[in-house]
Amino acid sequence: MIGNAGPESDRVIMSVRNLSVDYGAIRALKGVSLDVRRGEIAAVIGANGAGKSTLMAAIMGDARRSGGQILLDGTPLPERSYQVVSAGVSLSPEGRKLFAPLTVRENLEIGAFPLKNRGEMSEQMSRVYSLFPRLEERASQYAGTLSGGEQQMLAIGRALMARPRVLLLDEPSLGLAPIIITEIFKELDAINKTLGMTILIVEQNARKALMLSHRAYVLQTGVITMEGSSKDLLGNPEIEEAYLGGRKRQNT
Amino acid sequence: MSSLIQQVINGLSLGSVYALIAVGYSLVYSVLLFSNFAHGGFLVIGGYICYYSLLKGGANIWVASLAALLGAGISAMAVERMAYKPIRERTPITLYMLIASMGMSIVIENIFVVTIGGRFRALPPVIPMQTVNVFGVASTSASDLLSLVTAVVFLVGLQLFLSKTKWGLAIRAASYSLRTAGLMGVNVNLLISLVFFVAGLLAAIGGIFLSARYSLYPQLGVITTKAFVAAVIGGLGSLPGAVVGSLILGLAEMLAAGFLSSQFRDLIVFGLLIITLIVRPTGLFGKSVGEKV
Ligand SMILES: Nc1ncnc2c1ncn2[C@@H]1O[C@H](COP(=O)(O)OP(=O)(O)OP(=O)(O)O)[C@@H](O)[C@H]1O
Ligand SMILES: [Mg+2]
Repeated sequence: MIGNAGPESDRVIMSVRNLSVDYGAIRALKGVSLDVRRGEIAAVIGANGAGKSTLMAAIMGDARRSGGQILLDGTPLPERSYQVVSAGVSLSPEGRKLFAPLTVRENLEIGAFPLKNRGEMSEQMSRVYSLFPRLEERASQYAGTLSGGEQQMLAIGRALMARPRVLLLDEPSLGLAPIIITEIFKELDAINKTLGMTILIVEQNARKALMLSHRAYVLQTGVITMEGSSKDLLGNPEIEEAYLGGRKRQNT
Repeated sequence: MSSLIQQVINGLSLGSVYALIAVGYSLVYSVLLFSNFAHGGFLVIGGYICYYSLLKGGANIWVASLAALLGAGISAMAVERMAYKPIRERTPITLYMLIASMGMSIVIENIFVVTIGGRFRALPPVIPMQTVNVFGVASTSASDLLSLVTAVVFLVGLQLFLSKTKWGLAIRAASYSLRTAGLMGVNVNLLISLVFFVAGLLAAIGGIFLSARYSLYPQLGVITTKAFVAAVIGGLGSLPGAVVGSLILGLAEMLAAGFLSSQFRDLIVFGLLIITLIVRPTGLFGKSVGEKV
């Protein structure tokens, strides 16, 4: 398909097949299929209530799947959250969901829960600290007292602590000032490039997500309505109209 | 003066037994956000296991206590698996678990009434009861000192477990958000079992000392009401709060019994509860709901 990186990037690492999720009578996901390729950043953009967080929850085993399948490296992903994390998928959740009364270091430690021993954990912690030096400076501070941007860094760092094969990000831009969003997205780009981390990001901030990612999907009330290279989607007039604020902000 | 010191020691001793019960109850509350009214049952189970191991099993007090602690811990895990897990897997509404726990409390009590009868039993004299002199200023019973020391040892042990170990950290994280702890790779069912095991174990220690201090009967678990009150005074879900609340309650009870009249004990207990609820509804160490979210 499209894609301009090496042959590695053509290999699918995570595959969501015909996934459905019901909340009582409401069907939030209606047969969603998407692929994430090794080493890429894939994005899912969509408006409020499109089902983006539900998709993340279903992958993480935090929402019951009522149909479909999720494959990681060709094997079905388990259904219980703790098994999903052990299998190599971790999530930086919407709204960050930090453990506010625990310190920054403790938040990172709990992120490393599936790792076997303290040695592996401190190794991974220094890796996260070198990505986010600010977290190391604030290691003993309570997570609840961090600024919004720092909290988002901690949520991403905490998800990286489990040494995932695929990192899921649910709206990392939520509630942050534009300048902070730029900083966070620069960091995500670096995580992808320097660690070779595969990332699946869901965002309402379509412009930022499309600029960051290699490929993207458009999710609309539980259905994937469009997919393609992020570059193509950025230039697509339909997307422009619906998700990028029409003509007014044509400043990319 | 010496009688004041004596009452203070007695109060701390009683308070420390309440603390063992209140801390386990609070731990369960902080993770699952419901009041486990079957908690008193764990205390009774521990008491009877100890009693029968001593009497029929010919065990010494160490072996009998160990059996009681493990038995109560395992029973607590079993109660959770049977009565609460099916509910929490179906609904996030914790009120149903609270109602189930009232049912389990009655079930446990009645199992003992039906199988071994409701009469009062005295634990064989395995816990030293003689009077000891405290630094020449007061005298108190050895069992009071022993229960105080034992409670301190176990509470410090719990604190070390929570602050130094990986599962301890997971429990502290889960008491803020169980769901997020699950997303971090913690097996939440295992964590909940562990929490119930610890709660049952601590309750059993309280059960042994209470049956030595008073006597053992199927309704001994109602004393847990005092531990609930202590946990509320300290701040529901807060472990330091549960300990401090328990000590305050134990002291208030013993000072009231020593200097007013024994009949004032319960009046004081519930008076303190009402004052707390009026002045500081979240308790001494309580988190306000806003902080939790
Ligand atoms: N626990 C739930 N119970 C019932 N309905 C739910 C639940 N969670 C989500 N929904 C519904 O499912 C749909 C998808 O919600 P979801 O949170 O996945 O959307 P989203 O794309 O993440 O939105 P946002 O951009 O606002 O975060 C919505 O209609 C929502 O109301
Ligand atoms: Mg969402």
